[in-house]
Amino acid sequence: MNKLHILHIYPNEMNTYGDRGNLLTLQRRAEWHGLEPVIHFYHVGGTLPKDVDIVLGGGGQDSAQTDIMQDVLVIGDQLHALVLHGVPMLMVCGTYQLFGNRFLTRDGQDIQGIGIFDVETIGGSKRLIGNAAVKTADFGMLYGFENHSGRTYLKGTQQALGTVTRGSGNNGEDATEGARTKNAIGTYLHGPLLPNNPELTDNLLRMAMQRKGVEFTPKILSDELSIQSRKNAQSRKY
Amino acid sequence: MRRVVGTVLGKSVAKAVELRGKSSGQSMPGLVVETLVPGYLGVMLHKLPDGVVIVTGTNGKTTTTKMVVEMLQANGKRVLTNSTGSNLTRGIISTVSRQATASGRLPFDIAVFELDEAYAYQFTNVLRPRYVLALNASRDQLDRFGEVDTVARLISDTMLTATDGIIVNADDRRLSAAAAGATVPVSYFGVATKLLTYFPRDDELVSVAGSAAPAQARPVPRAVELLNFSGTQATYQLGTEQVSARLQVTGQHNFQNAAGALALVRALLPGAEPKTLAGQLAEVRPAFGRGQTFALKNGSKLQLNLVKNPASFRQGLASYVRPDTATMIAINDGLADSRDMSWLWDVDFTSLHGQEIALTTGARAVDMALRLAYDDIVVASVEPDLERALRQFCAMPGDKVLFASYTAMLRLHATLERKAGTEL
Repeated sequence: MNKLHILHIYPNEMNTYGDRGNLLTLQRRAEWHGLEPVIHFYHVGGTLPKDVDIVLGGGGQDSAQTDIMQDVLVIGDQLHALVLHGVPMLMVCGTYQLFGNRFLTRDGQDIQGIGIFDVETIGGSKRLIGNAAVKTADFGMLYGFENHSGRTYLKGTQQALGTVTRGSGNNGEDATEGARTKNAIGTYLHGPLLPNNPELTDNLLRMAMQRKGVEFTPKILSDELSIQSRKNAQSRKY
Repeated sequence: MRRVVGTVLGKSVAKAVELRGKSSGQSMPGLVVETLVPGYLGVMLHKLPDGVVIVTGTNGKTTTTKMVVEMLQANGKRVLTNSTGSNLTRGIISTVSRQATASGRLPFDIAVFELDEAYAYQFTNVLRPRYVLALNASRDQLDRFGEVDTVARLISDTMLTATDGIIVNADDRRLSAAAAGATVPVSYFGVATKLLTYFPRDDELVSVAGSAAPAQARPVPRAVELLNFSGTQATYQLGTEQVSARLQVTGQHNFQNAAGALALVRALLPGAEPKTLAGQLAEVRPAFGRGQTFALKNGSKLQLNLVKNPASFRQGLASYVRPDTATMIAINDGLADSRDMSWLWDVDFTSLHGQEIALTTGARAVDMALRLAYDDIVVASVEPDLERALRQFCAMPGDKVLFASYTAMLRLHATLERKAGTEL
């Protein structure tokens, strides 16, 4: 059976928004598609595993963000190399911000990011909270819940993940949501994101296997529950 | 003067709201009195001979408050308390004006109020409590609070307003650390080290295997400690004495909450005998929708449990799910439930492996079923309509357990009382 190495970074610090659900979904769908998932956790001060096929990161509390912002700079080069090699990544909320260039907090702190996404985040006063819907070119409609005070702005030629059809997205101003660099995705959508968006999940798996040069034919899964949950998500108010 | 005017006004508004059949009956009198008679709450409460006591925390407020109130009453105290669902300052003003005499007097010795952890400061700005019992700080509705550090800070701020003493959970590292900075005496309650695994702290709910153990609370001497529990029986160390009680209040988390209630009552009534207190604790029955049992028409029993966050859901699963019970889960996404469903993914459902869930219901019935599917737990039927689901569930043979988020619980509780059965 083909192995799929899933790396979850900072699981103890960045786990505020049900982020474990993304890992569970990726793991289970990999199994259902006939792959053998192997899960690796990376903690502050640790070593990245030799084999990495997909990287996941979640959202965290402000105090946790302070703990990891030094550490993420240490592994930044290695993460850049993985992105260049086409490794798919899903960075949600706090890790999305740290994967950008910088984060200027409300109290004047200038936090340096690792610049995988050419984005800048500025701390806002009002939290942007609600059920969001995002139209993407490659993964269909994405449904999730957003809850963030940071306003993220795309710079230069940085591609967005999609366009909000309901909700605030990156900053509540330009209708963009998230960022995409090669196969790395940054987003404010949680909920968690992957259970309600199986097309995105399966695409992450496909990109991972394609990069390894392994033939991957997704099986037809009975997604009746996610079809219904997506219908329900579509009907929710912001 | 303010006492009379505020009381009469509060009572009149309550009457008017009642006549019009509005559901805002709990908060409307408070809102009107708060606006028109500033300072009403302070004048009314500061004359109570034994003062005001506050119970706060993420989980267990309602049941613990009930325990404290009933133990004090059993010791001859006249206790003023707020009913469930009115734990904001306005709800307390409504309670006070309702319970006062027409001449604006409060015929009570002491007030014991459950306060919402996010709004307790509004109350403590008006009146500093004598004692605060701080139960726990856990991740709760993220759309309301943002994060657990914020929750802990809010609870700690309330705790530090106490004028006579603080009663705090020694096993909650955030609250216990905050209490260390107090200038008033601190009384700790907790559970024996060997029992800690039954009472996971917030950090442990989400940390992954193979990582460093989450930070532990610093060791402190405890006024009350839960030494052991088995079935409904709990044994406590109270000072130098060991006492046991067979509780009617269900759920293992309540063994821990009871330790907090005992510690608070001991602080208020230093002369009370531990054995007597244990006997009084055993008489306390479950609070509204928190482990209440209903007898259904077909002869079976149904237990209704509020689930609010990963900690309370996990405790509920551990306490109530048995291989021979049918289970239904009701999840809504109103403001009082958490609009964000992320929390369902932080609940550890592994204790349900190999069991089938009879029904999921509520506005997020499908999300709940999807969550369980990713843990290989089969849901026999998904019925978003609460009333229809309850009807189907009640018709099933055998005993039942129902987990419900806040607004789903209110609705199901009302239906159960009206139609399906009688509370045991």
